[in-house]
Amino acid sequence: MSAATRSDLAVKLAGGAIYGTDLDLPGMRWAALVPSPVAHGRVRSVDLAPARRLPGVVAIGAEDLPSLLPGSGDADRPIFPTREVLYRNQPLAAVAASTLPEARRAAAAVRVDIEPLPAVIDLESVFPDWPGAEADRSPHVIAHVHARHGEIEAAFRSADRVVEETYRTASVHQVALEPHACVASVTGDRWYVRTSTQTPFGIREDVASLLGVPEERVVVDGTWVGGGFGGKGSSLLEPFALLLSRAADRPVRLALDYRQEFELGRTTLPAVIRLATAVRGARIVGRRVRLLLDVGSSLPGRDFATGYSIGFLLGPYRTDAFEVEGYGVRTNKPPFGPHRAPFAPQCAFAVESHLAEVARSVGVDPDAFRADHLWHEGDSTALGQRVGPFGLPSALEQARATAARWRAERPPGRGVGIGMGFWSTGTGAGGEVRLVLTPTELRIVQGEREIGSGSVLRGLVVVAERALGIPSDRVRVEYLSTAEAPYDSGVFGSRTVGALGRAILEASASLGATLAERLGEAGPVRLELTGGELIAVARSVRRPVRELLSPGELSVGLVANGRHFADPRKIDDSRVVTGSFYPYTDFTGAAHVAEVSVDRETGAVRVERYAAFHDAGAVVDPGTARASVEGGIAMGLGIALTEEALWSDDGRFLNAHLLDYRIPTLGEVPVPDVTFVEGFPGAGPFGAKGLGEPPIIPVPAAIAAAIRDASGAHVTELPISAERVARALKLL
Amino acid sequence: MSAFELVTPRSVEEAIASLRASDGTGSAPLAGGTDLLLDIDDGRAAPARVVSLRRLPWRTLDWVGGALTIGSTLPLRSLEDDPGVRAQLPGLYQAVHAVGSVALRHRATIGGNLGRSAPASDLIPMLLALDAEVDLVGPSAERRLSVNDFVRASRRTALAPGELIRSVRVPESRPSAYVWQRVRLANDISQIAVAVAYSPSGRRWSVAVGGMPPRPVLLPEVARGLGNARPTDPALRAAGERATREVTIAADQRASEEYRRRLVGTLLGRAVRSVDVAEGVHR
Repeated sequence: MSAATRSDLAVKLAGGAIYGTDLDLPGMRWAALVPSPVAHGRVRSVDLAPARRLPGVVAIGAEDLPSLLPGSGDADRPIFPTREVLYRNQPLAAVAASTLPEARRAAAAVRVDIEPLPAVIDLESVFPDWPGAEADRSPHVIAHVHARHGEIEAAFRSADRVVEETYRTASVHQVALEPHACVASVTGDRWYVRTSTQTPFGIREDVASLLGVPEERVVVDGTWVGGGFGGKGSSLLEPFALLLSRAADRPVRLALDYRQEFELGRTTLPAVIRLATAVRGARIVGRRVRLLLDVGSSLPGRDFATGYSIGFLLGPYRTDAFEVEGYGVRTNKPPFGPHRAPFAPQCAFAVESHLAEVARSVGVDPDAFRADHLWHEGDSTALGQRVGPFGLPSALEQARATAARWRAERPPGRGVGIGMGFWSTGTGAGGEVRLVLTPTELRIVQGEREIGSGSVLRGLVVVAERALGIPSDRVRVEYLSTAEAPYDSGVFGSRTVGALGRAILEASASLGATLAERLGEAGPVRLELTGGELIAVARSVRRPVRELLSPGELSVGLVANGRHFADPRKIDDSRVVTGSFYPYTDFTGAAHVAEVSVDRETGAVRVERYAAFHDAGAVVDPGTARASVEGGIAMGLGIALTEEALWSDDGRFLNAHLLDYRIPTLGEVPVPDVTFVEGFPGAGPFGAKGLGEPPIIPVPAAIAAAIRDASGAHVTELPISAERVARALKLL
Repeated sequence: MSAFELVTPRSVEEAIASLRASDGTGSAPLAGGTDLLLDIDDGRAAPARVVSLRRLPWRTLDWVGGALTIGSTLPLRSLEDDPGVRAQLPGLYQAVHAVGSVALRHRATIGGNLGRSAPASDLIPMLLALDAEVDLVGPSAERRLSVNDFVRASRRTALAPGELIRSVRVPESRPSAYVWQRVRLANDISQIAVAVAYSPSGRRWSVAVGGMPPRPVLLPEVARGLGNARPTDPALRAAGERATREVTIAADQRASEEYRRRLVGTLLGRAVRSVDVAEGVHR
């Protein structure tokens, strides 16, 4: 794909794309939140009177909720805390005024009286030693997952060697260019909010539950999204904006500035990973995997992270005997949020680095050792799921060939390493689309927004293009609000093409069948373009679409619906001791090769060359696919080398600024070689698998392996800063 | 962010008067704005009046003999693009090149960098090593101060109320180098940086260290240890060790005290080795 075929290019380059931060409605008021000044405390009082005395200010707090909320709300998730504050900057009240500076002044005028309580910020201070039996009674533990299989004790007893290591990973933020922003307008019992989101229907569900309104009274309308990366998948500002709009009887805009985006956004939080591997000869005979995951102030029962993440510590390797245990640990930080491939890059970093050390300990080449244990199609995962067509072994083979070539050519001081990771194409609950055919175009009517990856405006279009043979410039994506659009569960989990694309495929088949019937010809129908008119073609029969539509259809179009809802999946419950694990499906994988130089006097690392080998099933659109891989690598380099949210002991986000929270720039990101390993079809259209998240997963592992190769530095903590390399090299 | 009154005087006298007129409520001179406006945005500064210097005739670059006078509102990019700077003051070129990004250097100025006196300034260590001076204009008189006397502490200078930096003077061409350690190539600030310059007239070295609070500092003893020509490897190593011992090093978010201390000698060695002393001697 040339860049010019992205249909959003013109509107974005001309500045015509409306993002969340551009939203502006007539008569709109500007809002600001009143942040908690402490990370943990008991609310004594929140006095809104000084703010309300300012001209034109509307202020709402916990006391106003009964009169504002249409229903009883969600008792477990109060809009404003009435008793206990759980993290710094947690909103205690919200204000609206005619201008943003006035709103900020009003927010600052609110008198907040909170009795500070001891705050738990550092994950490891909760369990200085590993959690024992007491953990299940700890108020800090909100999730506990535990699974085992095989003769694990015997495996460790009979091992030639056991390697035990501890890895630590940092808190990372999504750093979407556009911070969270929305405009709400409540009229009568219609709760309307326009917001920059990855999941309009998810926001609808969340807001309805928080406010206690039936879902159909909440209308969520999207915007162009300036990046999501997982951070815009659940409601954040919408409930406050909606309640302020109700109170002010005006549209209300609420947006975060970038400092607030860091402080209030839902980030991935730190973790400690302990890995123990038992080897006999050059075979792994047993693995113990333990995870301590900081979930911030997530609520019990709302921690998706622990059970989801921990599977990444087991795969993509065959394991006869294993034990895995993880705890989601509450701290006084904002709730944990997903970040592109939630926690998989961190897990892959630990697993890949660890298995390489295990291989070295028994004198085996780390790449060969991993190849020997890798999943192949037909294998079973640790939790008893069957691995379908799986291109990772082929990807690794190609990666090893590249690594061998680079090692042969490399100048002194450089190292080459391979990192791998697997992923499961997401499904969400599922989704529906409506195709509308007119004599001159095909419209894809649906409820998602393009979040920047191209999965909606390019991915869905390509599926329709291939299914119906229609030129892609005659396919238009129509974005509707949740009031009008068919349901879809959201743009996340690398699911858009794989899951929503199947709904397009079904709708295309139905449209094709209708046209074939009207053409009086069996077999596939193609839509060709002649003189601006679409012509339906089946075998030798050709007729303009115009002639195939009824008078009614000529005004509204010929409509075909398609849907795809997730197939039920299961893990082997006999292996689960406690907790819920995520049933992965439609496995994908990637092997990345990095070449780095390491400054042996300063520990500074520079990425010199990079190659990525991806199983993405059948690639439906090579240009968009390549862009996804390039973007994932750039983001992954941040996790690997530079990005780390720093939290003070009293819960402040210390580097809430794009200078001090360092994402890579083009100066640090080489242009990668990208190769797709084909022949391992997935369940998506034409055999596609998800590719939104997989590219970020192997990056920290590949970089760590290359640094190890270049300098001998074995760094077990992310990010691998120059200072950490210097420590590993014993320079400090 | 607080609201402020923006005034754009057309003469130096008017600028000085504007700065003084609002002394009670606070005023701040504005050159490129790349630092001041961030502080205002973040609430660290809240001047009632901002006095733009953009109409003052200070976007100048003058060579007289080997001495260079840089107008305080000259964008850094112009300084960087000057072939004379690159050839005669390579360390200054490297220090300017280290600031922010190309886009930022099109706005940022040398006067702003000195006047705002950030602890991690890339220019101040180099100007210290070049024995540069600042020419100030104020309500009553003009005066000249060494950069070392001008910079007082983190974010503090010798500027009196109503006083402005008119220009910065580098007395002679010097073989020189600026070497830094940072996370990113662009849009970053140094964890630690070392500036060195060799004076052909005085046959002596100057060494300054920057990148950390409270302010960049000269290391005269370390410089003396480098001797009066290209130092031998043992002398250079000894100077590095001395620097490592003598520099007061602070820890902050960007680096630990230990790491910075480890790097001083390394960066000093790299900086000195990259300077072509002979070229200066024969000029």
